[in-house]
Amino acid sequence: MSLDLKPKKWAGALREVTLGAGSRRPVAVGGGNGLPLHTFEAAFPHRPALALEITDVDPVRWVESVRQPWEGVLGRPAEAARRAVADFGADLLLVHLMGTHTDRGNRSPEQAAADVGAVLEAVNVPLIVKGPGAGQKQNTVLARVAEDCRGEGLALHSATNEDYKTLAAVAVAYGHALVGESPIDVNMAKQLNILLADSNVDLNRVLIDPLTGGLGYGLEYSYSVMERIRLAALGGDAMLNCPIVCLVGEEAWKAKEAKVPADKEPLWGSQRERGIHWEVATAMTLIEAGAEVVVLRHPETLDRIRKQLDSWFGSEPSHDREGVVQNSFRATDEHR
Amino acid sequence: MSRIIASAAIRGGHACVRRAETMLAEALGRHNRNTAIGFPSTAYALPIILALTGKRVEKLGDLEEAVGAARSWLPAEPTEKLWLPYLGGALDAGAATLVAQEAIEALKPLHGIPLEFDYWLGPTTDGILREQGIKLVDGRMPGFAACVGALPDDETAEQLARDLQERNLLVFMGANCAGETMAAQLNRRGVQMNWETFLVPYGPDTSSIVHALGFACRAAFTFGGLKPGGLEETREILLYNQRRVFAFVLALGEVDDEKYATAAGAINFGFPVIADTDIPEILPSGICTYEHVVSNVAHRDMPARAVEVRGVKIHTVEIPIPVRHGPAFEGERVRREEVAIEFGGKYTRCFEYLASRPMDQVQDGLIRVVGPEIGDVPEGARLPLAIFVEVAGRKMQPEFESILERHIHSFLSEPMGVMHLGQRDTVWLRISKKARDAGFRIEHLGTVLLHKLRNDFPAIVDKVQVTLFTESAGVEELYPTAAAAYQSRDERMGALTDERVEIFYSCALCQSYAPNHVCIITPERLGLCGAYNWLDGKAAYEINPHGGNLPVRKGDSVDPVLGQWKGINDFIRNASNGAFERFSAYSMITDPMTSCGCFECIACILPGTGGIMIVDREYAGETPVGMTFSSLAEMTGGGQQTPGFIGIGTIYALSRKFISADGGLARLVWTTTRIKQKLGDRLRQRCEELGKPGFYEKIADETVCTELEPLIEYLATVEHPALEMGEMV
Ligand code: SF4
Repeated sequence: MSLDLKPKKWAGALREVTLGAGSRRPVAVGGGNGLPLHTFEAAFPHRPALALEITDVDPVRWVESVRQPWEGVLGRPAEAARRAVADFGADLLLVHLMGTHTDRGNRSPEQAAADVGAVLEAVNVPLIVKGPGAGQKQNTVLARVAEDCRGEGLALHSATNEDYKTLAAVAVAYGHALVGESPIDVNMAKQLNILLADSNVDLNRVLIDPLTGGLGYGLEYSYSVMERIRLAALGGDAMLNCPIVCLVGEEAWKAKEAKVPADKEPLWGSQRERGIHWEVATAMTLIEAGAEVVVLRHPETLDRIRKQLDSWFGSEPSHDREGVVQNSFRATDEHR
Repeated sequence: MSRIIASAAIRGGHACVRRAETMLAEALGRHNRNTAIGFPSTAYALPIILALTGKRVEKLGDLEEAVGAARSWLPAEPTEKLWLPYLGGALDAGAATLVAQEAIEALKPLHGIPLEFDYWLGPTTDGILREQGIKLVDGRMPGFAACVGALPDDETAEQLARDLQERNLLVFMGANCAGETMAAQLNRRGVQMNWETFLVPYGPDTSSIVHALGFACRAAFTFGGLKPGGLEETREILLYNQRRVFAFVLALGEVDDEKYATAAGAINFGFPVIADTDIPEILPSGICTYEHVVSNVAHRDMPARAVEVRGVKIHTVEIPIPVRHGPAFEGERVRREEVAIEFGGKYTRCFEYLASRPMDQVQDGLIRVVGPEIGDVPEGARLPLAIFVEVAGRKMQPEFESILERHIHSFLSEPMGVMHLGQRDTVWLRISKKARDAGFRIEHLGTVLLHKLRNDFPAIVDKVQVTLFTESAGVEELYPTAAAAYQSRDERMGALTDERVEIFYSCALCQSYAPNHVCIITPERLGLCGAYNWLDGKAAYEINPHGGNLPVRKGDSVDPVLGQWKGINDFIRNASNGAFERFSAYSMITDPMTSCGCFECIACILPGTGGIMIVDREYAGETPVGMTFSSLAEMTGGGQQTPGFIGIGTIYALSRKFISADGGLARLVWTTTRIKQKLGDRLRQRCEELGKPGFYEKIADETVCTELEPLIEYLATVEHPALEMGEMV
């Protein structure tokens, strides 16, 4: 029996956002004109990009199994970045400036800017830079980073509905992209994009972080909200058609199932395997829901996801002459 | 536009341009055309000229074109006979003046006149712009005041500077009045002037004020991503300033032609002028958001008046009260033994009343306690209290009074150690000993209301004053006014019918968990959570036009009985992501509205009775339909249309439009005692209006039965009208 596919054509398409500029080897994401992974009926110029998270200080709360691959470089962002790119093959990095949080070291904006500068020196992939969480401190930290690293096309994480004006202004001033974060709510995501556009931010420089739950902790909410964002985007809503970034590692490794050691729950099996499975399952779900960038913590997860994407998208990403990562894929007859 | 101002501005413009031309000609005589000119450490050349002409002036020769442009914008100098000044002409002259002034400032060094000397700081570098300009754009600094001239004496100068600083406003100073300058006055008072204190003296000439406007333009270039270019780009830059940079000019002392011309230049940016002298006013709105020129303002009123005229919104980060506060303390009780002072409850009269007033009748920030304060009475005293809040705002409407008043409860619940229950004249308020010991006084209730109202409702509230009456005389005197207001609000709300409005409001706040759900809120049907009525929707839209509440035009009637309109149906199709085609406002059977999950009550049909029941969320027991509230909620919620089941806000039951297409309130055969209690007399009254004698008594509740069979028997015994109305489906 043969299946007769009737390709669905949509009125809209995703915006294409290029991360990284200046000394970075840029990575473009988004641009697809169909539902995620519907390669049989739509064109996807870029496959989802895989990021690893590195931190400015030792992330003491990370569980042992996710600390282990980073041994020796935790809290040394430049070294961690080198390992993430050279050894683990990350397409881009998220630099989490957790140490700038007032309760976790209260590192200064200058220190933060120096940390990001060191990472920029060490590797040439694009960076998402995440502050300590919305508020005055985050604004001063990211404003400083944005100014000192002007022209590098960072993605600043993140602007929120309540607090977006500072980051919008510095993104515009220093040529960076901006991640808009909304609390699992399609209307808030849209409202934020309207506000950003109103602040003269180019929406072709914006990623949506819809805030994800990990597997078992609200993942299905994230899924349906992302689905709605994507449906609206494809329906032609120009305020919702920015690519989506999901901070997967952070959520997946929060789950009790990923953290509890095997001697406490013998039936659950190896903690390491369990944690990686948890992160893989969360990431795959979100990629299916439409994540264009997933941020992971365990390199093994990245490896497994990369293999899966290869099997769908055909080949490893290759770099063209300009240095733009051509992780392009178009529906071919073979796949129809 | 006042003839005097327009003529003066045009004359001033001509004079400025002539001066620039002379200085330029002299400079060209002595220097090469390629001589570099410009302000130190900036990538924006001469920013005003860049913004207004789109040209980068970097060499002496480039100035010719810029000054030429300024000349070409100047309207003819008005004479006694020739009279055509109009707003446009004066504005053009203003723009020409700014260009000429910037040229003059840039030429000064070539003439050996320093830009930076004594305490004068001269033009601002890009480094400072990046650090400080962003604060103007992201709202940390509400705006800037360009102070032109000087005050009558040093002390007044310091007072004005302090008042502006207190409001977090950046203060630019420039120009002189017969040789006297505000900066010199501050200097004599030993006031620090620099970018750290936000007191920035530019220069003693009127032309130096152009640096303040240049600063605004550079903020627009840098943080607004605006590009210089042609007319369209210039317009964008001016609009950006008008919308985002909350600046104003304070004209201090005599206003000469050049100052009028500079003021006209500032008005191009939407920056109004507030003067302490008796110059002609320009009130009607046009370029500026509100008034353009306001005069004769006393020095101590200047900051407040300026903030008001420019529409600057000041947000208080830390409310100045001696106890912690926040939503975390909202549910907190103050027990009898902890009470320092108590108002209302069953002991004394205690009410709150919020009224809107014209702008000039509210003194923003004024808090008065009329009667004893907390320290004047013995511990545990019970006093009467009237909380009288007067607000004013450009966009305030009397309709919003009740909405703001309803927030008093949550605002006054937030300070730690304050307990607030009830609303209107049923208020019960306690202040704990701990709070008192920390320094909390009755007056601070006003402080909280002042800041919360301004912070949370910036779109509609500009000014707040609070009076707290704590003795009988004052309380009793105000009470009749308050009581009359409560009543007339209720009457107005009662008279507000679906037919009388053209617009309903949508609410999509619950889409986060019921993705296709949307509430349509009409005057006679509130949101199903019970928290949003039509007025709330209206106010919410006024406050945030990008928020979850949008106005929806009813459009042509599709079915007046069901309550369907074309405009609403079109909206629903879109807002439900194509999941639903039609909504009936008045039916739970045909195209009922969807239910998200936060309904206060569920109404559902009871087969075999011809009626319906209404059950509330708190009710944990069984119901005649054979399900508890929670199992019913599963069927009803999730944003589906489930004919026969709807989520409702409790007081929808009192509406004349309550399932009016299906037979209305007469269908109600069973409900809970809690609902009966909550609706109380109002339900009795509605029942009487139905004209079915003894109807209220015929509505069963859980004390009569919780199963269907006995209910049917009971209904037969009491001859409930629903039995004759026939089955609903
Ligand atoms: S239930 Fe209330 S909050 Fe939710 S959508 Fe309806 S009116 Fe809005």
